[in-house]
Amino acid sequence: MTPIVTIENLCLGFGRLSLFDGLNCDVKPGSILAVVGANGSGKSTFVKTLLGLQSPIEGRIEWPTGKPAEIGYLAQLTEFDRRFPIRVRDLAAMGAWQGFNPFAGLNKTTRNRVDVALEMAGILDLADHPLHTLSGGQLQRALFSRVIMQDAPLILLDEPFSAVDQYTEQHLLSVIETWQSEGRAVIMVLHDLSAVLDHCTHALLLGNGRASFGTVNDILTPDRLVAQGYMSSSQASWMFRGQANGGAR
Amino acid sequence: MFDLITEMFSYAFMRRAFVVTTILSASVAPVGAFLVLRRLSLAGEAMAHAITPGVVIGFVTAGLSVMSLLFGGLIAGLGVAVLTAYLARNTILRSDASLASLYLIALAVGIFILSAAGSAVPLKSFLFGSILGVDDASMILVGGVATVTLVTFALILRPLIMSTCDPVFFESQFKRPWIVDQGFMFLLVLNLLAAFKTLGTLMAVGLMILPATAARYWSGTITAQLGLGFIFSLLSCWLGLTLSYVMPETPSGPAIVLVAGAIFVLSALFGPLGLRGQFNGTKKP
Repeated sequence: MTPIVTIENLCLGFGRLSLFDGLNCDVKPGSILAVVGANGSGKSTFVKTLLGLQSPIEGRIEWPTGKPAEIGYLAQLTEFDRRFPIRVRDLAAMGAWQGFNPFAGLNKTTRNRVDVALEMAGILDLADHPLHTLSGGQLQRALFSRVIMQDAPLILLDEPFSAVDQYTEQHLLSVIETWQSEGRAVIMVLHDLSAVLDHCTHALLLGNGRASFGTVNDILTPDRLVAQGYMSSSQASWMFRGQANGGAR
Repeated sequence: MFDLITEMFSYAFMRRAFVVTTILSASVAPVGAFLVLRRLSLAGEAMAHAITPGVVIGFVTAGLSVMSLLFGGLIAGLGVAVLTAYLARNTILRSDASLASLYLIALAVGIFILSAAGSAVPLKSFLFGSILGVDDASMILVGGVATVTLVTFALILRPLIMSTCDPVFFESQFKRPWIVDQGFMFLLVLNLLAAFKTLGTLMAVGLMILPATAARYWSGTITAQLGLGFIFSLLSCWLGLTLSYVMPETPSGPAIVLVAGAIFVLSALFGPLGLRGQFNGTKKP
């Protein structure tokens, strides 16, 4: 299967300060890549580089089937203005920005798509609520509905479950699995290793200046997690207790 | 009351002032609404000061003509806006600190040149506006600026909403996001210049910010805020001009802004999203 994106010898950082180097990987349709690493290891920088918001120090990002016209993106919640005076359905509709006509409202097809996206995210009943009345989990669902509206072949999620409860996380993970079944590729920054092991096909582990890419079970081993500064050896021993030669469970 | 209105409208300069401020209200209302939503209320004030050297140089070199003020102010305002964006993007300073530094330099340059030019400069009308200064050229300027502003807003409204609500998402989706940001700053400078004759450099931004902040207390949707902002601007101008007419020593700028201030205080006290809402336990945005 032809990858959506191929990364060769990528080195990221700021100025002359390198966060990691020598990353080679490819992301295929229908795969879910978890980006894991300690704070400051370059996870968000990696996502922003894929979006074109930041340039790599070295290396290449290739798009074998052409760069997608749209890349779905969910930024960290901290960067969002919750006081902005719009309704939930208006936020979702932003995902269809490429079809906006400056002198007309949204057409019926787009309005129907908004309803479907809100239904899929589980907040159709909140469609006409202003944003500031939403809880953290409801807002995250609203932002997911915007990503659904983007209808993109590649979706980037930066810490999508950082401010949500377990129930919401499970629901949003089911949305991500739907995207996977539709042949979309998903790259998401995660801290919850159990979510990575249960739902992701590949992992990119960043830390201590290194980048390791492979299948989840190949990458999330105690030795690697300790070597790349993601956890201490005692944490690794606790997490991987009772397992022989396998990944964390 | 009727006699006052009849008397007031018997003067051509008052009729001009009412027409010009009515058009101005339609133009500055959306700019003010987005200044508030983009958390640039103080940046608007800073830009009003930043255009001073251009306006002063225009005045000193070509007199009080609309074109000299327009070009001088545009060059100074856009120069400060572009330099601010450049410094914010390429140095450690954030945009607020960059803008504060540059507008202070610009203001000092303006006041220095204004003082050096001597007593020929009508300082009071320069700073606070004068309804006597509204001539045909000023009316054409305000009409032109209002047309450009409203058409541009129609074109960039949705991208502007996106960039205001979620700038990170906006930057990730648009190839040239700076066009919307700088386009908005361009509209801000244009409207400050359009308001200059009636309100003066120090008061011009008041007609943008106060009606917009007052409207924020009444409504939770952008559409309603734009509409209310326009109505509040219009009320401020009409009542302010009347006040300035009744008290001839009062410059029109402070009179208009004072009325806008009164509307703001009333809105804060009685608006559903103001103090009353807080006391009633309404969740504020």
